Amino acid sequence: MKLQLEKFGKTLISRELGGEAFKALQSTLRKLSSSDELEIDFSGVLTLSPSWADEFLSPLLNQLGDRLVLLPSDNLSIHATLRILKEVNKHPFKIKS
Amino acid sequence: MDLNKEEQLLTIGQAAEYLGVSLNTLRRWDESGKLVAINKDGGTHRYYREKDLEIFASDLLKFASEWIQGNVEFPGNFHCTTSSIFNARLTKMQMALIQKPGYEKLYSLIVLVAGEIGDNSFAHNLGKWPDTMGIFFGYDLTKRVIVLADRGLGILETLRQVRPELSNHVSAVEVAFTEFISGRAPERRGNGLKLVREVVTEQPINLFFTSGDAEVRMQGSDKVFQVTRGQHIVRGCLAKIEF
Repeated sequence: MKLQLEKFGKTLISRELGGEAFKALQSTLRKLSSSDELEIDFSGVLTLSPSWADEFLSPLLNQLGDRLVLLPSDNLSIHATLRILKEVNKHPFKIKS
Repeated sequence: MDLNKEEQLLTIGQAAEYLGVSLNTLRRWDESGKLVAINKDGGTHRYYREKDLEIFASDLLKFASEWIQGNVEFPGNFHCTTSSIFNARLTKMQMALIQKPGYEKLYSLIVLVAGEIGDNSFAHNLGKWPDTMGIFFGYDLTKRVIVLADRGLGILETLRQVRPELSNHVSAVEVAFTEFISGRAPERRGNGLKLVREVVTEQPINLFFTSGDAEVRMQGSDKVFQVTRGQHIVRGCLAKIEF
């Protein structure tokens, strides 16, 4: 299953809204079979902050483990945010090459 | 001299709308000399040149500093009372920055730095604002400067909730920028200011940040993160980002 992150907004900054986005995603995740991967597509996202992402991607990583797959992006804020989250979670994200 | 012919003047009502302040504030500022109005032909009505209002509103750091130090009123269009207003204005700034030559890629890191600092103010002061709720958020993309400030609890008081042993502003700001800790622990982790430090260190972005009497100055090409003790104690937090 592919998730267009921009459906949550193009400017993803607020910690509070990151948490809301994670909650909103839960109903969609019920449709994900136990063998399916969830691919996160960052295209269209202009800025991603570590606070928003820590409320969304970090719990998603806990929930799905290696079934969470990130699609590559050349956005500088996405790169910087994923780098700090890897340090926080002590677990790298699986990135599709 | 006929000022109307030389330049279109704004009435006090139009000037109030332009700056986002009340008529009484403009009258007070005129009487105190802070923003002097024009009296046409010796009349009692106050008028303003748009250019003068533009110059007056451009000293972002002065407005922010005076507000957090003495609760001095500032042009209301810089005031984001809620996080959603801040997000909307940040998005507007982002759209303008994307159009700026040379910032087609860097814009997202500048928005990240400003967004994290602003969002921190809201996240840490939710339901706890000592007096005025919300933050100051002003920017001038021509001068390449962004100023953010809040009259919240400040870093030391916020972090003391989880680190009661913190004894001064300098050590609290150092922890905020270097360790994974949050004033809202255990439910939330703080990582935003750590990334702000890393991004500012690596990119052509300068940062001045102060809370209490602690100051962080990261400027120039050889940036080193260091927290020093400044001359003044400020309420809440104040940040100036230059790029």
